Amino acid sequence: MGQEGAAKEKAAKENRVLTGVHFMQGNYAVVEGALAAGCNFFAGYPITPANEISEGMSKRLPAVGGVFLQGEDELCSINAVAGASLAGAKAMTATASAGYDYFQEGLEYGVAVEAPMVIVDVQRCRGENFATQADIMQVHWGPAGDHEMVVLAPSSVQELFDFTVRAFNLAEEYRTPVIVLSETTIALMRERLVIPEEDKIPVVNRRWTSKTPETYLPFEAEEWGVPDFAGLGRGYHTIYSINPHDEKGSIEWDPDVFQRLYTRIPAKISKHREKISTVQHYRMDDAKTALVAYGSEVRPCLDAMTMLREGGKKVGVLKLDVPWPFPEEAVSDLGKRMDLVVTVEMNTGKYAGEIERACSGRCRTGRVTKNRGLIHSPEEILEALECMGEVS
Amino acid sequence: MKPISIRFSGFGGQGIILSAVVLGDALVIHRGLYAAQTQSYGSEARGGQCQSELMVSEEPILTPIRASNDILVSMFQTSLDSYIGFLRRDGTLFVDSGLVADLSRVPPETTRHAVPATEIALALGNKMAANMVMLGYFAGVTKMLNLEQLDRALGENVRKEFLDLNKKAIRTGFDLSTGKNKEIAEEKAEEKAERKTEGRGR
Repeated sequence: MGQEGAAKEKAAKENRVLTGVHFMQGNYAVVEGALAAGCNFFAGYPITPANEISEGMSKRLPAVGGVFLQGEDELCSINAVAGASLAGAKAMTATASAGYDYFQEGLEYGVAVEAPMVIVDVQRCRGENFATQADIMQVHWGPAGDHEMVVLAPSSVQELFDFTVRAFNLAEEYRTPVIVLSETTIALMRERLVIPEEDKIPVVNRRWTSKTPETYLPFEAEEWGVPDFAGLGRGYHTIYSINPHDEKGSIEWDPDVFQRLYTRIPAKISKHREKISTVQHYRMDDAKTALVAYGSEVRPCLDAMTMLREGGKKVGVLKLDVPWPFPEEAVSDLGKRMDLVVTVEMNTGKYAGEIERACSGRCRTGRVTKNRGLIHSPEEILEALECMGEVS
Repeated sequence: MKPISIRFSGFGGQGIILSAVVLGDALVIHRGLYAAQTQSYGSEARGGQCQSELMVSEEPILTPIRASNDILVSMFQTSLDSYIGFLRRDGTLFVDSGLVADLSRVPPETTRHAVPATEIALALGNKMAANMVMLGYFAGVTKMLNLEQLDRALGENVRKEFLDLNKKAIRTGFDLSTGKNKEIAEEKAEEKAERKTEGRGR
């Protein structure tokens, strides 16, 4: 490497993590999170309110030695990300709801070939930049086929940074697509963001195989495990097919073989659910009523909790960092301990059904839902609770 | 300090969002406070209605928008008409006096500041700096920030070629609010008017 090359590499390293206090827009916090996690490939197609992610990546990635590609559409973008990932890159794409529709085939492929990928969906109302959480079911169930999706739902600009880092780490650890479920509310909001020192940011890298091409089996893993990786262009000659395949990667229609595959792929995530699907408890110790929320709706829930606590009501908030895989244990526990469990979400009422299922009739349940392009106010939550009758 | 909700409003192209961003940046980075800035604007690049809300607090901010604002800054008549209903009756209003003529809908309890921001900016050489004249005036009245803090935030958010103009605009607005250069601003406006007349003569 010449002197110029060495200087370039040094500058790239120094520019990667912008340690310090910032007043930053959410979409740019995603960019910084991705860079801090080691992202070196981005492909995206323009759409509001996600454009700042592509714009930021187009400026920042080449400066740190990465590749930025503007796809001709969403299909190009998601498939480029899958390809880059299979070549060993840490790859990401970003879009907003209408664009996310087009990602499903690429996501199905990413799941099947176990490609680590990070996908950002900035949810918006149909055709306009109004806030919503209406994609909460699609981000899990969008692609065809048996799968478990990992979906992180940040609540703030800080979490857009932190969770993007975590998304890359989970994608690498479990070799799977991971969704960062953003929202207009936080994506276009500017807030205080603290980016830690580079060595304080945990980064998980690809687990490369130590085997030779002769002995390596690309889809061999323990029962609920994750295969080691070899990558394209390194002499391992793996077929990465969406079709049922055996441990060698050969297309295989024997039901026993593909059942083995389709059991392991969802199970490598669902069996590690408690570790992946972290939750945060706010004043839940003595609570009798729990407000359950994810994403930006956690914010008015916390305000409502403070207001209700001032009136002597024993209210707590369960914040779901990771709505998928469903945090079964944490929600089921509410059913045992609470008098009332209320789901607060910015859609016509979708995830609430999952919460109610997990509480399985052991306590009263309620819903505070709306899809009017705006986050709930704490007052709206209080009013809705009043309509539900006695809150202890 | 109680949390404060501020709304900046005007039309697209006046730098409404930039005002909120510079103020938020200065408060977060140079005063160590928490701020959350949200915005909405028409799909037109210029000319549509534009507004940005900034919540400021000593604590982390949860719900980022409030049902009512404590302070409203209006740089255009239509924006005043749209948002005056959201200003607390005993809140504080800043208007660009050259572009907001009708204050008949403003409740009597509201504290009013009429600032000839666009006129002063024209005198400084570029009407685009009206937002910064207003921001300087705002900072002088609310005492939320000093000039140095604002200058530093400007440096992080404004392109280099416009930095001097914007700094000058902030200083002029700030000094005007403290009564320091009322005369200077007026003189400058007069000078500019004269120059314009001369130009036409030629």
